Amino acid sequence: MSLLDLLMGVLLLLTGFLAVRLKNAVHAALALAANFVLVGVVYMLLEARFLGWIQIIVYAGAIMVLFVFVIMLLYAAQAEVGADPLPALRPVAAGVGAVGFLALAFAFSGAKAPLASKAAAAALAGGTAHALGPVVWQTWLYAVLLVAALLLVATVAAVTVLRPGEGGGR
Amino acid sequence: MNFFYLLVSAALFALGAYGVLARRSAILVLMSVELMLNAANLALVVFARAWGSLEAQAVALLLIALAAAEVAVGLALVVAIYRTRETTLVDDLSELKG
Amino acid sequence: MLLLVILLPLAGFLVLGLFGRRFKEPLPGVLASALVFLSFLLVGALLASGGARFVLEDWLPGIPFALLLDPLSGYMALVVTGIGFLIHVYAIGYMHGDEGYARFFAYFNFFIAMMLTLVLADSYPVMFVGWEGVGLASFLLIGFWYTDWKNAKSARKAFITNRIGDLGFLLGMALLYSLFGTLQISELKEAVEGSLVLPGGLALAGLLLFVGAVGKSAQLPLMVWLPDAMAGPTPVSALIHAATMVTAGVYLLARSSFLYANLPDVSYWIAVVGLLTALYGALSAFGQWDIKRIVAYSTISQLGYMFLAAGVGAYWVALFHVMTHAFYKALLFLASGSVIHALGGEQDVRKMGGLKKHLPRTHLHGLVGALSLAGFPLFAGFWSKDAILAATLSYPFGGVGFYLAGLFVAFLTAAYAMRWYALVFLGEFRGQGHPHEAPPVMTVPNDVLALGAVFAGFLALPKPLWNLIEPFLAPALAHLEAHEPAPLVEWGLLLLSAAVALVGLYLGYLFFRDYFKKKVPAWYRAFEQAALEGFYADWLYNTFLVNPAKELAFGLGLADRGLDRAYVYAGGGVGLLGRILAGLQTGYLRFYAALILAFAALFVLWGVVR
Repeated sequence: MSLLDLLMGVLLLLTGFLAVRLKNAVHAALALAANFVLVGVVYMLLEARFLGWIQIIVYAGAIMVLFVFVIMLLYAAQAEVGADPLPALRPVAAGVGAVGFLALAFAFSGAKAPLASKAAAAALAGGTAHALGPVVWQTWLYAVLLVAALLLVATVAAVTVLRPGEGGGR
Repeated sequence: MNFFYLLVSAALFALGAYGVLARRSAILVLMSVELMLNAANLALVVFARAWGSLEAQAVALLLIALAAAEVAVGLALVVAIYRTRETTLVDDLSELKG
Repeated sequence: MLLLVILLPLAGFLVLGLFGRRFKEPLPGVLASALVFLSFLLVGALLASGGARFVLEDWLPGIPFALLLDPLSGYMALVVTGIGFLIHVYAIGYMHGDEGYARFFAYFNFFIAMMLTLVLADSYPVMFVGWEGVGLASFLLIGFWYTDWKNAKSARKAFITNRIGDLGFLLGMALLYSLFGTLQISELKEAVEGSLVLPGGLALAGLLLFVGAVGKSAQLPLMVWLPDAMAGPTPVSALIHAATMVTAGVYLLARSSFLYANLPDVSYWIAVVGLLTALYGALSAFGQWDIKRIVAYSTISQLGYMFLAAGVGAYWVALFHVMTHAFYKALLFLASGSVIHALGGEQDVRKMGGLKKHLPRTHLHGLVGALSLAGFPLFAGFWSKDAILAATLSYPFGGVGFYLAGLFVAFLTAAYAMRWYALVFLGEFRGQGHPHEAPPVMTVPNDVLALGAVFAGFLALPKPLWNLIEPFLAPALAHLEAHEPAPLVEWGLLLLSAAVALVGLYLGYLFFRDYFKKKVPAWYRAFEQAALEGFYADWLYNTFLVNPAKELAFGLGLADRGLDRAYVYAGGGVGLLGRILAGLQTGYLRFYAALILAFAALFVLWGVVR
């Protein structure tokens, strides 16, 4: 674990924390976007370059932008107004989070790597498009097609739900 | 084996879970869900690195696409609800009481 | 054909029960009486033609439904239907104007049908059907005016007391069945008479059947229901509680004579119980103020005499007394009924008196009945009572003690019979209103009964005069060797009985003719008070048996209701649980999500830690 990793880790945690705690929705969205960019960087550090770029472009660049659009559209910047009807949920949520973290940490502690680090890195060949392409388009072709169909369905659904007139809701 | 990033992933997941439960606006809840998905994805990539498996990265790629689709539909729903209910607060949609 | 004897009154019961309300008076009464009379004729005809049988195989598994008309059952059947017919006719007049007129006669016919079943039965289960049936009829008729709680209670008391006896009957039947494998009386008779060695349980079976008889015939200690049974209409008291149903116990003993003839010890106790009952009834009759209750206690006493006779082994004598008693007791009851009817419902003898002048016909009936009861020479009661007393000396199970005690009770009987007569008919009228004589429909049956009360005794006279009853009944009864005393001794004892009866009557006359005008000694007053309470038999039973049982029942009722409530609460508890669980449906998405995530986290933790 190098200093860079440590730095990345800290920043990730910080932005993640901000994303769930900031009151202003736009600020929270921006924090989350930053988080996603950092994750993309981490991907690149982990020999998954293509994936890292895709992360930055799609997640931070499209999804978070979409979020900001919607926040703006709905004037939901001051998102959480009024009294909280379930005040007891906060500590419970914190507890759930803690338990979850413990569980996952415990689970991960038993993980093993059969290959040595260098050999694994070599196998990944940097995770470039050149290396990843054949895997995606040959082994996982059907999955890709399915996901594409899913994306189409999602698009149609989103448009249908928000059609003006008697649409909107059905 | 990069355990550090795994722990970070676990922590991000926990934070996302906290956010899902503690946030009151639907949009912010969806954002927390995205955080959780992302954390899972991170864990997957770490394992890909550990096992030298490009297939895992392919899966992570597909997951990103899925997340995008999900966000699109989710946000469409939030907007639709806002149109009729004038609110984005999750707690206001509690007719299934009792 | 034999079945028709039972079916005729049974049909009357059904018709009157279902449609009686549409019939106008006096059609139900006339119909009922006619059916009983037809049965009477039928029995007579069948008997004259030599008897009859009716068997229905496999009525119960291994037990046929068998009826038999032999001398014994024919004798009883004639008494039941003959006296029953006369009382039916009387009731046509007595029940006039009553709202339940048709219902009364329906029940009355039902009773006759059941009594005939009992009498004609050739197997114990069939007899038991009749036994229970007359118990039911008794219940229905005692509580005829059921809107008064007192009447219902008396009916219930009668039924429950009877039931105790019925238990004995049932157990005795079961024992007999297990010993011999059959319950048909003719077969049992052969088995018992034919075997040289009797099985050990036979004495117990005899004792148990006797318990049944004790309940039905109001012997000590189950006699408490009979005085209260006077709550029913007077014809009921006359028919059921004097002439027929209460003699069913005597009939049972006679029918089972083949059994008791071989059981000297059990027979001894039967005689003792009979004697004690006779004494008890006679003593209690001195303290009663209700005209019917005096006669009721007298019935208890006379039934005791019958059991005494059966106990010493003189079964035909007991049956002889059944017949004469039927005549004069029914006469006494119906005469009492005429008096009550004349006074518009008054039953207290303290408000009677001097009715000799106002009700001449009824007075004659009452006199004849009282004299016959007392054993006035040449009347029917005289002959049968003397036969009993003589039997205690001549039959093998008897003894001098029985004779002397029986003689003493005869003296008491004469005294209280005179008391009844004197308080009702002699002296000055102490009541209000103007008594009027009963209509012919009520006096004519009484005339017939009076004739019977006078002359019926002449059917069986001591030697060397004729005796028609003993040989008639002999084929059906067990035969016990009676060492006959010399005719001189026999007639000497007869004169002694006559003397005792006359002395009793005379002393009673002296004491009671102006009873209310004189000073009565204190010891007699105390005795009278005790006698009024039946020597506290009822109090005894109530305190130690009835009230504890009632408390237990009440307590169990509470417990039962508590149990019900516990079940309801248990059900409610489920509802409560449901309501609690429904609290989980808050409607808040975040709450649901929290639950899902919490449990998911816990599951993963558990799975990972394992």
